[in-house]
Amino acid sequence: MRGVADLISSFTVQHWLESAAQGHLLGTEHGHHAGEREPDWLLADGTLRARAIETTVQLVVAERCALAASAALVGAAPDEASARYFATQTLDEARHAEVFRQRLLDLGVARDGVEDAVRDAAHPSLLRFADALLERADRKDFLATLVGANLLLDGMAFHVFELLHARHDAPNPKFAHTLAGAIADERRHLRFGESRIATLLRADPARRADVERLQRELSYWVLAALAEEFAQAPPPRAPSRRAARDPGKRAHWQGHDLDALAPGELEKLLAHTVLEEFKMRLARIGVTYQTPVRP
Amino acid sequence: MSGTRERVSDVHDLAPEAFEREVHSFEFWFQAVEGYLHGTTYGHRPDAAATPLTDSERDRLVTVLCNYCVGETAALEGASGLVAIAPNRMTKVFLATQAVDEGRHLEVLLHRLGELGVANPEAEIEKRASASILEFRRRLLALVGSKDWEAALFAQNVILEAMEFTVFQTHAQTADPITAQVLQGIVKDERRHIGFGENELGRRLRESPHRRARIGEVKRDLDALVIETFAETVRDIGIPASERPDLGRAYLAAVSRLGLGVS
Repeated sequence: MRGVADLISSFTVQHWLESAAQGHLLGTEHGHHAGEREPDWLLADGTLRARAIETTVQLVVAERCALAASAALVGAAPDEASARYFATQTLDEARHAEVFRQRLLDLGVARDGVEDAVRDAAHPSLLRFADALLERADRKDFLATLVGANLLLDGMAFHVFELLHARHDAPNPKFAHTLAGAIADERRHLRFGESRIATLLRADPARRADVERLQRELSYWVLAALAEEFAQAPPPRAPSRRAARDPGKRAHWQGHDLDALAPGELEKLLAHTVLEEFKMRLARIGVTYQTPVRP
Repeated sequence: MSGTRERVSDVHDLAPEAFEREVHSFEFWFQAVEGYLHGTTYGHRPDAAATPLTDSERDRLVTVLCNYCVGETAALEGASGLVAIAPNRMTKVFLATQAVDEGRHLEVLLHRLGELGVANPEAEIEKRASASILEFRRRLLALVGSKDWEAALFAQNVILEAMEFTVFQTHAQTADPITAQVLQGIVKDERRHIGFGENELGRRLRESPHRRARIGEVKRDLDALVIETFAETVRDIGIPASERPDLGRAYLAAVSRLGLGVS
């Protein structure tokens, strides 16, 4: 494991400018290629469009929570280099919230109807997760907020984005490109979070128990939010979407043919992937995974 | 329902609501900074000429940069703290862009200290930071912590930003080429931050004139620290008394644009 100084040197604002702002975001508009739009097959199908709005609302809610937590981490950071890093993460999360909000507009939500749409469709468990995380942020508990934001929230977001990207890569390049930029950012947040948590726990091993308790509580809300998302899913392989896909190019993720899975199977696959990844990351930083329990 | 954003040639041609949407977005920030940061590393062009400094010049520059670092740290912590209490989403997004600007400023100043041979910038800042800028930082963060939106925004985006804008612009005129480039890049960001602060506060004061008294109170509370910080910085930059500009004038002009007058 590297020291804090070595770690931080890979996560400077300069590095962020070169890799994100002047890197994968160069030439994009609201996160996707200029001129791309939501596909006609989606806009023309009321059921699928409503479902896309509901899913996008969850992304907006999660990113708003991540924005608030990242901004709080700037002020709570124990060293100025970490504070600088979290300034870049704050802007990443603000950008994600903005591009997903823009997608709601692109899907036909009226500009003055966005907040109502968010309020009406946000999953209760996702809101409970946000409350629990932001309560730690308000207390300026740097380690707890870092674990919640960079390991659990960004960990969940990373896999959800990957799954959505796999499903939309062929039929909806605009959304897939938006997701690809967010995936690149989340990967950076996960790397920083894991390394920084490891250095903090090495300095203060007594806090491992706090991290385990927090993971047990917040993981519950992660799984519950995924269950709420898939409970609303339409029947698999909706005709218009299937028709839009090149028959020779099926969506694959984690070795599974996504087009062949029912919503319940998709939920199981995503929840399993998220949890396995949590376990692996926790094991690398010396924390024992705790089975989620309803708080 | 189109996914494409209309290209805006001049944001000032937009209606007020559309103007706010445009200038408070990540996209606007991205277009703005790309123009002047492209091709720079740590705030200056890689081929910028390093001018030899005497020991005394170097020592004074290190002291000045250490104090700038305190100001930028306050701005970073202040901007990120304001995200939590901002009254709407657009304002949060703008403040997120401001937080990364402030993080960049702190980083390029620390890097400049490294280029000047300072091995441990943190220790050097601790040793050289002036009492007035440290006190300013303490009071700014107290305002942010108290969730007093107008007062905290005034202290951060009007007072602190106007102070930094004026000092950096003046210093860039006499600084060595590398420091000058670093400061000129920062000044471009500060202009955007001041504009946001003045617009947001101006609008809120028009809507709720009773808030003017609170802003006047904050101004009176911080004025002495601002003037003291100006005096210390001008002395450390090494500008002869006869050539010293009235640094307080630009700060007071920004404040008077909000109709707060001069105390």
